Parts: sequence; C-alpha cells; structure tokens
Amino acid sequence: MATAIRLRAVRMVAPQGFGYLGQALSSAEQFAALYSSVLRVGVDRIVVSPAHYVIAAYAAAAEMGVLDDEALATYGKDGSSLEAIGTERTPLLDYTCGSLGQGLSAAVGFALSDRLKGRPEPRTFAFVSDGELEEGQVWEAAMFAGHQRLSRVTVLLDANNSQVDGAVDTITTIEPIADKWRDFGWDATDIDGHDVDVIIEALGCGADATRPQVIVCRTSTVHGLDCLPPDADGHFIKLPPELADLALAELTEKLGRHAGA
Amino acid sequence: MLAHEEPPYRTVLKPYGRALVDLARGRDDIVCLSGDLTRQCEVDLFQEELPDRFVHAGMAEANMMGLAGALARSGHIPFVHTFGVFATRRSLDQVINAIAYPELPVRIVGFMPGISSPGGPSHQAIDDVSLMRSVPGMTVIDVADAVQTRQVVRAVVDLPGPVYMRLKRGEIPVIFPDDHQLSLEHAQLLTDGDDVALFASGMMLAAALAAERLLRGEGVSVSVVNVPVVKPLDTATVAAVAGRCRSVITAENHSVIGGLGSAVAETMAEAGVGHPLRRIGLQDTFAEGAMTVPYLFEKYGLSTQHVVDAAWTSLGQTGPPPRAAAAAETSDGYSPV
Repeated sequence: MATAIRLRAVRMVAPQGFGYLGQALSSAEQFAALYSSVLRVGVDRIVVSPAHYVIAAYAAAAEMGVLDDEALATYGKDGSSLEAIGTERTPLLDYTCGSLGQGLSAAVGFALSDRLKGRPEPRTFAFVSDGELEEGQVWEAAMFAGHQRLSRVTVLLDANNSQVDGAVDTITTIEPIADKWRDFGWDATDIDGHDVDVIIEALGCGADATRPQVIVCRTSTVHGLDCLPPDADGHFIKLPPELADLALAELTEKLGRHAGA
Repeated sequence: MLAHEEPPYRTVLKPYGRALVDLARGRDDIVCLSGDLTRQCEVDLFQEELPDRFVHAGMAEANMMGLAGALARSGHIPFVHTFGVFATRRSLDQVINAIAYPELPVRIVGFMPGISSPGGPSHQAIDDVSLMRSVPGMTVIDVADAVQTRQVVRAVVDLPGPVYMRLKRGEIPVIFPDDHQLSLEHAQLLTDGDDVALFASGMMLAAALAAERLLRGEGVSVSVVNVPVVKPLDTATVAAVAGRCRSVITAENHSVIGGLGSAVAETMAEAGVGHPLRRIGLQDTFAEGAMTVPYLFEKYGLSTQHVVDAAWTSLGQTGPPPRAAAAAETSDGYSPV
C-alpha cells in the first residue's frame, strides 16, 4: 500500500510538475499502516497537523476505496475541494492545519471531548511533523495531554529531518525527540518509519495505553523513489515530465513485483 | 502627477532581498531574522553575503518577535521575515507587547499578501493590514512595484517605532520608472480625473491603472492614487482627491474591513466628504486554495473588471461598462510553501 500511495502521489503532482511529493514519500508507510490496520472510519479521529501532507491521506483514502479516482484527479486544481494544503473543506480528515503546529491541540481537544462525553472507545490519531516541534504550541498541547493522561491520543511523528530552510538539525536542535515527549508524560517509541509492520505494531500498543503515545518515525523525503536526483528539495519536489515518467514507471514496476510476490 | 510605465510590465526577482543586503553592508546595526522561509522571503541573499548578521529563528514566530524586540532594545535594527499570515496573526501578542508597546524599531516583513498565495486560508494574509493598522504606532506599508520595493528598505530603516511591510513574492512588476521617488508621507496621484477617485495599494495598482485606461476610453475620467503607506495615511491627499470627484473606489488585495478601504472611509467621513464609496477587496470572506492566482482574483472580486464595474455603477452610468481583458497567467506558478 505504501508503494501505491507513492504512485498515486506522483500522479497527483505530475500535471503541475511540482508539489508536496516529498511529504507523501516520507509518510507513505505511516498512512499505509494507519489506514490498513487500526483506523476505524467513523469511530476514530484523524488529525493531519501539517496540512501539506494531505496528499498522502488522499492517496491512502483512495487506496481504501473511500475517495474515488475522479475526485483525486482534481487535487490542487482551481475550484477543487482537494486543496494542496488541507483546509476546512478537506474531506475524510477531522482536522488539518496549514498554519503549522496547531494540530496536536485539536487532537488533544477531540480526546478531551470523548472523555467529557464518557466515550472510552474512540482513538484520536494525530500526524505531526518534526519541523513543527519548533512551534511552542505543540509543547503546550503535549504538556496538557500528558498532565490529563489522555491515553486515547496517538501521535505519528514524521521525523524526516526536513523543513523549508533545510535539514531540521541545521536550524534547531530538536533531539532527543522521544525523551522530550517522555518528560512530558507520554509513552514514546523511536522506530524506522519506512517499516510498515513495525509502525502497525507500535500503533497496536497504543490501544490499551495509560498515557498518550508518540511514535517517532525516522523517515526520508526521498524514500522509495530511486529516480529522484540527490539534491531534490524534500518540501517541494520538482517533477518535470521526463522525471514524472521515470517515477511512474519505477513505482508501477515495484507495485507489480509486490502483487506478484 | 507621477510618471508610470505602460503594461505589460516587465518583472524582476528579489528586489527586496537585494536592497536589504545593499543597505546592510553600510549599516552594521541591521540584523536579519528568518522564520524558516529564507529563500521565499528573498533573504537567502543576506544569509549568503552577511552570514554573521543572519539568524535562523526556525518555525517559531512568537519567539522570533520576542527576540526581535530585545535585539531592537539593544540597539540593533531587526528586519524580521516570514509570510504575512504568520507575522501578524500568529504572533500578534508578541508583536504588540515585545515590539509595538515599547515603540521599538523592528521592521516586520510579511511576504505573500492577500490572495497572491494560492495556498488557502492558512497562507493568505487577507487581514494583516487590518491587524497591524490597529496596533498603536505601527507604520503599515503595501508597496506596488519593484522600484518602490527597492526604495522602501532605505526609507524605513531609520523611521521611529515599528514598521509592517507586506511584500509580493516571486516576480515583481516594474510599474514606476527608475527615477521614481517613493514618499512615505504623500500618496501619489498618477492620473488626473474628476469623475472617480481610485485609491489603490500594493498589487491592486496595476488593476487600477488598467481600469483607468478602460474608463477613460468611455469618457470617464479617473484620478488614480497610489497609497503605499496605509498608516499613517496621507489624509490630506485622500480627502482632497475624494472631495473633488463624484465617487470613490478603493482597491486592495485584502479584506475590505480594516485596511485601505476602511482607512479611506474614515478619512472621508471625518473630512465631511459625502460621495459614494465602493471598496474592492475580499468581501468579509476567507478565500480558498487553488492552482492559479488569476482564478482567485476573479472569484473573489479583485480583477480589473471588478474595479471597472465598481467605478461604473458608482457613477450611476447606464449601459454596459467597458470590458477588461482576462488576466494573463503569471509565470510565478504555484508556490505557497
């Protein structure tokens, strides 16, 4: 499914020749794991804090058959509700924010609502990026959730070490990430974010947790697409027609191999 | 009246970034802060050429404004860079308490004004002028072209108190000749007419000039006034030009609430100018994400045709208004980041 998400993402950005492909490459396994294992549509909530990542959520939703190909083809175009940066019009997600660093507060708020309403069952999954950890609001939300022991919140933290100005660790030292969250009262694991099985296992552990959980997923914005040039800008990848053709061929071939395996 | 070029306007890249470096080379007190949008705010030039005075503040705007306030208290002149939405909405309390209330000379530069960003409501600064205009002591600037952009850096550096400037990103049109003199005190009368007073700021100046040409062809004379400084507003010019025309139009790439349109309305009311006023801008609505900017300008009422229609109906003209050509696709492409 992760390869299928990448293929769909390439198809979505190819008509424009550039876009948020790196976000999909970085997060494909996380969305694949979430959508194919634990997420119960209609019960659980999903928050995609960095709204530039909605491309991966759309692709995963299409793979699950809850978003049709026709709608997907309008991604990013004039008049489409599938905007390149998610908004209040974005379908299938409970909350998304293009102004970064605000999503965790929403996820924690949803979990708080469930507690206030006496609903122990729903889980809230929040997708957060490592660059967002530079925003203070993330830590305000983390401290609140830890204090309140809002154990129905699980954060998938995409640690791809990429932000607009370059590698996150050249701008701000955010490590040790997992220890910071632990200090704020969270269960934290630190895993290979391109290993679907490991992510699924970590997501499963959260089901009966007593504290909120963060899964630190170590990833790369160019993972799983070998034809990209080494200097590709992970935040906003350029995909001219020849490169798009190469990418489509590579991913189609990989998908075929998975299907045949 | 001031001279201006004829369309299609040629465009240039990074006039702001170049001007800031040129000024800072002779001014050791200037420091440059960037909130994870360095290339997008044209200060990659500063980072390359004056790295000792360049600060990566990261994606942490509230902290960046707090730092800037303390830097200014310590004798630096901080130029702070991010997109307009994050500079104003996100860190408003810090801008007010750390910068404006102590009257510190921080220059806040917000790129990608209004719906020049196709990135949706989170990236579209449709209220930045309104927010900053309401802050006591804040100078608010919305320049129209590359020539004014180059000049505004030097013009504001020694201005007392804080300044907010909103700047278009990417390809910047050249509307004024090289010998143009930007004034922070005086709005600029560009065409002289008695029928309509048309006040325009920022990206809407090109549409205002295009509308003036179309209306002139139909015998309607228009005074186009460029208003690069929305606060403090040149109330004398606004009241004089509005007072001698039959109707008044404002055009801004911003909500009609709290920006240029409101400032002109306040000025007219206080001066006792009782002419009809039409405000071109976002009509108290959020916009949306899209692929192209002309689509958004058309959908949200900021096209040349919208300016023409407003002027036409404000005069009670009968018959159809002149038709503007559809806006050409810019070469900027989608790049909200």
